[in-house]
Amino acid sequence: MKKKQIAITLGIVCFILTIAIAIQLKTIRNTNTTISQSLADNALRDEVLKWKEKYDVTYKELASSEKELDSIRKEATRNDTTSQAKQEEIKQNNMLLGMTNVQGSGIEIVLKDNLTASNDPLLTLNPSNVIVHNIDLIEVINALKNAGAEAISVNGQRVVPTTSITCVGNVIKINGQKIGSPFVIRAIGNQELLYGSLVIPGGYLNILKDAHVVVEGPNKVDHINIEKYDGVINFKYIKSR
Amino acid sequence: MILIAIVIGCILGAVIGISAPMIPYTYSGYLAIAIIAALDSVFGGLASTVNKNFDLKIFVSGFFGNAILSILLTYLGQKLNVDIYLAAIVVFVGRMFNNLAIIRRYYLEKWTNRNQNQTQEQTTGEEK
Repeated sequence: MKKKQIAITLGIVCFILTIAIAIQLKTIRNTNTTISQSLADNALRDEVLKWKEKYDVTYKELASSEKELDSIRKEATRNDTTSQAKQEEIKQNNMLLGMTNVQGSGIEIVLKDNLTASNDPLLTLNPSNVIVHNIDLIEVINALKNAGAEAISVNGQRVVPTTSITCVGNVIKINGQKIGSPFVIRAIGNQELLYGSLVIPGGYLNILKDAHVVVEGPNKVDHINIEKYDGVINFKYIKSR
Repeated sequence: MILIAIVIGCILGAVIGISAPMIPYTYSGYLAIAIIAALDSVFGGLASTVNKNFDLKIFVSGFFGNAILSILLTYLGQKLNVDIYLAAIVVFVGRMFNNLAIIRRYYLEKWTNRNQNQTQEQTTGEEK
């Protein structure tokens, strides 16, 4: 009787054990085919995270140092009208260059890759047509600039004089940062002019819509916040004449 | 008898396990540690059977308790970024070897005893 009991319990435990082992084997095998789970990969991922953290910390330090510098400047120029005027000028220039966070009324427009196009046999002939290219962003930004936009950003990346928008495979590189669909373009300026420049018949948005790219907007927004350019503009070769 | 039950359990488990659904990769680490705990329990059960002090209550509570504790430890280790599950594995595998040693000794003794008996019987038979 006692032996029977032992046998049954051990049998049940072995039953559970083998089920677990079989499930585990299956899971591991499947995972290895879809995601490479080697140690080297994990180490690299850790490294990337560490560097990113370092970058964030340094970036925060930079922001606090800038604030400090600003307050020191204010302190130094308090009792001096000429340097106060200079200070104002520096501020103004920084705003124009895109080195400060700005806010104002303007428009927002979202461009997206058309993911449902695969249902349409006509569109699948050339999938390149239904995705957003760097050229599309450049054309839209150009139209906005032409309409007098004072500040433009794409997915949080400020458009400054040194900005380049290039195609790198399936993503777009802007200001050295890779961004992907959806592309949120924000612009501050005269709302009517900006809106009109985009929806004008024969304008670039019409072309994009005809190509079946998903276009949301343009929407007029009263309070748009545009982030500052978070890089550094260095000049090495130009000199004032 | 015990061996037959284990074999039947393993076969049934393998058959059902093959057709069982997969679990997400996140949880496979926990399942792995639970497997080690269960394996340890099986060896522990065998060893106690050999020692003739098998207790069903102790065995079942040990089986579930070990598995749950080791899973919790693994979870805690992941949260703390320390590989605590290694400690659980070391303990379980170490105990497995201990239990295996007990089982091995028992059967070796049995075998040598039988051999001795046989030789004794042979010698007594010759004397007669």
